[in-house]
Amino acid sequence: MKRGHRPDYLLALGVSVGLALLLGAGIMALTGHPPLEGYQLMLQGAFGTPRAIGNTLAKAATLCLTGLATAIAAQAGIFNVGGEGQLYLGAMASAVVGAKLAGLSPWLGVPLALLAAMAAGGVYAWVPAMLKVKLRVNEVITTILLNSAAIYFCTYLTNGPLKTMERGISSGTDAIDPAFMFERLIRRSSLTESIFLTAAIAFLVWYVMRKTTAGFQMKLTGQNGRFAHYSGIRSDRLAVGSMVVSGAICGLVGMFEVFGLHGRFITTVSNEFYYDGMLVAMIVRYNPLGIILMSLFFGAMKIGGSAMELNAGIPSSLVVIIQSIIIFFMAAEQGIVSALRARHAQRKAAQTLRKEAQE
Amino acid sequence: MQFPGVLANDDVSLDIRKGEVFALVGENGAGKSTLMNILYGMNAPTTGKVIVKGQEMTRFSPSEAIARGVGMVHQHFMLTPSFTVAQNITLGREPRRGVFSDLKKANAIVEDLVREYGLKVNPADRVDEISVGLQQRVEILKTLHRGADVLILDEPTAVLTPQETDDLFHVIRRIVREKRMTIIIITHKLYEVMAISDRVAVMRAGRLVGVEHTRDVNERALASMMVGREVLLGPMAHPPVVNAEDAPAVTVENVQVLDDRGLPAVRGISFQLRRGEILGIAGIEGNGQSQLVEAVTALRPLRGGDVRIGATSIRGLTPGQVRALGVAHVPEDRLKTGVSAPADVTDNLIVGREKQKQFSLMGVHMKRRAIRRYAQELFSRFDIRGAGVDVPVGSLSGGNMQKVVVAREFAFDTPVLVISQPTRGVDIGAMEAIHQFIMDKRNSGCAILLVSADLDELYRLSDRLLTIYEGRVTGEFIPSAIEKAELSYYMTGGGKEAEA
Repeated sequence: MKRGHRPDYLLALGVSVGLALLLGAGIMALTGHPPLEGYQLMLQGAFGTPRAIGNTLAKAATLCLTGLATAIAAQAGIFNVGGEGQLYLGAMASAVVGAKLAGLSPWLGVPLALLAAMAAGGVYAWVPAMLKVKLRVNEVITTILLNSAAIYFCTYLTNGPLKTMERGISSGTDAIDPAFMFERLIRRSSLTESIFLTAAIAFLVWYVMRKTTAGFQMKLTGQNGRFAHYSGIRSDRLAVGSMVVSGAICGLVGMFEVFGLHGRFITTVSNEFYYDGMLVAMIVRYNPLGIILMSLFFGAMKIGGSAMELNAGIPSSLVVIIQSIIIFFMAAEQGIVSALRARHAQRKAAQTLRKEAQE
Repeated sequence: MQFPGVLANDDVSLDIRKGEVFALVGENGAGKSTLMNILYGMNAPTTGKVIVKGQEMTRFSPSEAIARGVGMVHQHFMLTPSFTVAQNITLGREPRRGVFSDLKKANAIVEDLVREYGLKVNPADRVDEISVGLQQRVEILKTLHRGADVLILDEPTAVLTPQETDDLFHVIRRIVREKRMTIIIITHKLYEVMAISDRVAVMRAGRLVGVEHTRDVNERALASMMVGREVLLGPMAHPPVVNAEDAPAVTVENVQVLDDRGLPAVRGISFQLRRGEILGIAGIEGNGQSQLVEAVTALRPLRGGDVRIGATSIRGLTPGQVRALGVAHVPEDRLKTGVSAPADVTDNLIVGREKQKQFSLMGVHMKRRAIRRYAQELFSRFDIRGAGVDVPVGSLSGGNMQKVVVAREFAFDTPVLVISQPTRGVDIGAMEAIHQFIMDKRNSGCAILLVSADLDELYRLSDRLLTIYEGRVTGEFIPSAIEKAELSYYMTGGGKEAEA
């Protein structure tokens, strides 16, 4: 729809990524590591073995889902910073269902856990959305605060009422029925069947955001809520709806962690996964297709980064640095591009004037 | 000077003499404000120079302009609302006593200024509690206090009542006569040019079309210089369409509405609107017109009374439901309400129709091709000029953006149209076109409620006029039967409360 702006934007993105990688190389060189070797190790770590590829894809899937969750709320003008909490509650809900329904057919148990996770995440997102729509309470503040509430609540449950009696598990809930676990697609990697669900959800979110009347109305609501309201769009409903979907997706991410990897809820179920996805979404300005591609890039960076640390002793925080630099450049992009354009126009106009004067 | 990629002023040479009132006219985007911003040092020219009192401007900053005695009163005032008049006037060079500012002395300074220039204000009043006309005086006094003897006024009468405009002109004449001040007044109201200026410069598309002695030209000549062709902004034919037997299309009954601060803005307004007539609402801005329009279109809740579209009350309905009853709405603030600036022209033209069968599969999957074709059709039918339907609406000029709003709303073909400030900030060419669109709607039997701050517009278009003051109707008139001067008397609270 905005084809006119794309080339500029893609160029800026390319330049930002390039410069960030260059600066990363500089940092490696300064700390006495040959940069080329470092990046080579990173690449190998991300794609060198089937297992590495599996881990990269799994990481990308998490980033992609959380990123899309940010984007779908942002499209309707709500900034969901609460995905981390929604993810925790989703993970907890699915773990409880998975443990309580042990013995049930997986064809029943897994969908029920799925629904529970989505419901938990969705309801937890519904609260700040309603506060925003009805009472004009800023959702950024409420969602951030609700994050801590959810995480501490889950920690309490894990160490209190829902603590497992199993030996050797320090803080976790009862294990879910092993029959419910997602199959691993590549041995010893974290890539599981959930990748198919991820792909389906990614397609669906892209489709809704870009191709449907609901996505269109959400976009207008996000761009100018007053205009949307005036046009007869039920913008409040849309905003709440998109936030609930956002929360439901986050809940699912939590469920995938439990049913794919841990087999139970543990307090370290997420390591700020949502914030990473949020950053990916912001870098590509909530463009759903961009999020899918950028998740692969950052997934590879994250997995490759740890391999690089392990094999060459280059700290993986370098990845964080590179990520931050890209974001920094992208934030400045708009200003830089318009400044360059203005200068170009000035020069061109002065030329025209001089030419006219000569004639 | 250029905005990115645009020559805003192209080889303009002007000389303005001491002690004259110099008017600068032109359509929106003709380059008037850019030219004056250069003089005031807000923009620097790409080539060329500016000479003030024999000295060339070098740095092009407002402080340089102020040092040379050039002052500017902007369209949007730059005052601190919670400060007093005296504090605002002396701001930046306030008299001090120790580390504190000396309020008493500031008041005395302002009183001196008031006496010297005859611009009456009360130094101790808070700026947010005085009228817009007085705020403008404060702005003028502020520049005078800084020693300006060349005063640029950017569309000074846009926000004033007819009475306040008269007062302003009186003041201008006085300071020019007694103080030999030089006044540059930017406007696009031609009768004001005739009333106040000694000489007038006309700009079009960044170029100077002509500089004339005002006594040698008339409004008509100026208008065609501005547009580059003959324009006929005369009265329009009003063939009778109304059928008195018809049930009213809109009934407004003792409507009461609150404003954003929760204070009564509309205090009991009643009228009926029939198919085939334009009912004009005349009033100084801020007398409840905006809230009335928002209430009729369900953008703002009714506090009391009722609005019926046909026979259906709109109480408790959403804006979308009122639209479904057959009401389209051109809002007063196109940027805030009328469009989504970052969305492209197509999106802005299709809003409200996206779920229709021809534009989406089962109301879900958008048929982009059909939508685009429809947008292109409206684009040419309403003569919108711009780079096409794929650019953001925000990149269009004000006039064309307004045409996008008009095109979308008029294309709904609703029996009722609510139109607010249809040509505000729109150039004469677009204004002509929009007026014609409105008349066509009327003649085809649409019931139209028209709110405008532009009396000429109301006189041209309305079949009936209601004057409104402080949320009440003060009179009902047939435009041909009342002089503008008398009408403005009713707009400012004169006359008794009339039965509408």
